Amino acid sequence: MKTWVVVERKGSELRRVSREIAAKAAQLGDATVLEVTGLERYSPLPAVAALAARAKQDQPSLVLIGATPSGRDLGASLAARLGWTYASEATDVAVDGDAALVSRMMYAGKVRATVQAKLPAVVSVRPGAFTLPGGAAEPTVEPVAADASAEKLAFQRFEPTAAASGRVPLTEASVVVSGGRGLRGPESWKMVEELADVLGAALGASRAVTDAGWRPNEEQVGQTGKTVAPDLYIALGISGAIQHLAGMTSSKVIVAVNKDPDADIFKVADYGVVADVFEFLPAFTDEVKKAKAAS
Amino acid sequence: MKILVCAKQTPDSTVRVKVAPDGRSVDAAQITWAVSPYDEYAVEMALERKDADASTTVAVVSLGAARAKDSLRQALAMGCDEAILVSGPGAEALEGLGVAKALAAVAQEAKPDVVLCGRQASDDDQGLVGAALAEALGWPHVATVTKFAPADGGPAGSVNGIDVWKEVEGGHEVWRAPGPVVLTVQKSEKEPRYPSLPGIMKAKKKEIPEKDVASLGIGASLPKPEIVKMEPPAARGGGKIMKDGDAKRTAQELARLLREEAKVL
Ligand SMILES: Cc1cc2nc3c(=O)[nH]c(=O)nc-3n(C[C@H](O)[C@H](O)[C@H](O)COP(=O)(O)OP(=O)(O)OC[C@H]3O[C@@H](n4cnc5c(N)ncnc54)[C@H](O)[C@@H]3O)c2cc1C
Ligand SMILES: Nc1ncnc2c1ncn2[C@@H]1O[C@H](COP(=O)(O)O)[C@@H](O)[C@H]1O
Repeated sequence: MKTWVVVERKGSELRRVSREIAAKAAQLGDATVLEVTGLERYSPLPAVAALAARAKQDQPSLVLIGATPSGRDLGASLAARLGWTYASEATDVAVDGDAALVSRMMYAGKVRATVQAKLPAVVSVRPGAFTLPGGAAEPTVEPVAADASAEKLAFQRFEPTAAASGRVPLTEASVVVSGGRGLRGPESWKMVEELADVLGAALGASRAVTDAGWRPNEEQVGQTGKTVAPDLYIALGISGAIQHLAGMTSSKVIVAVNKDPDADIFKVADYGVVADVFEFLPAFTDEVKKAKAAS
Repeated sequence: MKILVCAKQTPDSTVRVKVAPDGRSVDAAQITWAVSPYDEYAVEMALERKDADASTTVAVVSLGAARAKDSLRQALAMGCDEAILVSGPGAEALEGLGVAKALAAVAQEAKPDVVLCGRQASDDDQGLVGAALAEALGWPHVATVTKFAPADGGPAGSVNGIDVWKEVEGGHEVWRAPGPVVLTVQKSEKEPRYPSLPGIMKAKKKEIPEKDVASLGIGASLPKPEIVKMEPPAARGGGKIMKDGDAKRTAQELARLLREEAKVL
């Protein structure tokens, strides 16, 4: 069976999720790793045109793509162009005869489903769904040149977000430190960032925080924000509303700090601290610094 | 400017969804229905254009069961001008590519300048229909949109291209679409508005025309993932809760547990 992997870069490096799915595809067998080139910025029309033309020659059975913002868009557009089955945000993929068995969350994270996607199919895969084997070799990537004349949109400009942090992307981070309304205001993020720096973590936030404009929208975790599943998720001053939980309950270890012992976040926490976050957080950051220095 | 919003009716975000005894569907009995959250943002985004320019018209379309009319009425009460329900036998069984084809037929008839979809529907969580709709129409598509506005220039009331703000890591890319475009919405600038009382009264009186899905000529059945199994998410809880009161001691203990027990430090 022929499998395609479509990869993406951040700067000059392959994204971690791209390497994860390339390693997975190598296990599945006959894998080709492709990268759309020739576009300064991702846009679906030229990218899809290039991949669809190549698919007609190659006839892969399964196309895997990372469920990043562009990967989700490109995967969906490609499946639509080719008229193939599409499943998004897979947490596992297996091939079973003429179909792919895909594990994925549905109903905003409230249901775990296994779906059968008849081949040929395009599947977007969540970062972290497949662990990168230690010492995995860099995959050999074949360029697929996009034709800019397939574009109908004109790029105008880039507008950076003032508070953008330049950290690891939220959905690919192995540690996420998230803040909620309990932090009282944007100035408290100095404290949050200090912990995130020590941990090499990405920053997250509840919707209360992004709606209030304390933090940029791209940091929102939850049903109408990002879905994350890091090794460690630290929730500071977050109540644990069902829509927030939708985005983070697949995390391996959850730590919650909240002054209300009845806060719902404690129902999903592996380690809960009932405390005033303003007292607890500086002390905790110190301890983490010590632990990191010792290791 | 003419805007068409595609809004799906899905379980309300506060509902606890339960897996049905057959293990491959959800128990519909206890569900209350609402406009899917990202679609609600799309409605709000369209209405923000209407606030800025009163000549803008906003139509909203939903495909599904007859009960989806309640959600369409909600969108009318928020301020949309008209609503269309695509229904009838076979409508509820459509997914992804089939839904996109049906919505494309509606868009071809309505001839909007902009079609708005949500980033993903909160039941199947696929994020397919927006991109597939663009493909079906042969229009360009921009994802993760937080704002759009008519491009400057041209006579008043004419649409001389549309500027689109697309959320990417670290900021926004602004793209210009010369003609009609499909946008999938990440978030509106403001929170979705509540219907006003006069809005509710007006919406009550509005006719919501129904289109039979069979009349849209979708044709052959299109591939879609078949559900084999559904389960509740892995149970959590039973964690260690510390309420010692002494910040330093608790911090030491937590750091120790994360290092020695959870092995994440
Ligand atoms: C359709 C829909 C979609 C939504 N999508 C999302 C989403 O994607 N993500 C999301 O997060 N929310 C989402 N929400 C909103 C969600 O319902 C909650 O309103 C939101 O998550 C609350 O944010 P919060 O926990 O920061 O604030 P609050 O609920 O106000 O909680 C603040 C917490 O801080 C604690 N606290 C206060 N002071 C301190 C202190 N000094 N020390 C320690 N703790 C303190 C309080 O005890 C409280 O538990 C959505 C809602 C709807 C209706
Ligand atoms: N049945 C439907 N009726 C109207 N719009 C829909 C329907 N299904 C999907 N959409 C639109 O397409 C978006 C993506 O849906 P999905 O691909 O199912 O995640 C939704 O947010 C809606 O805007």
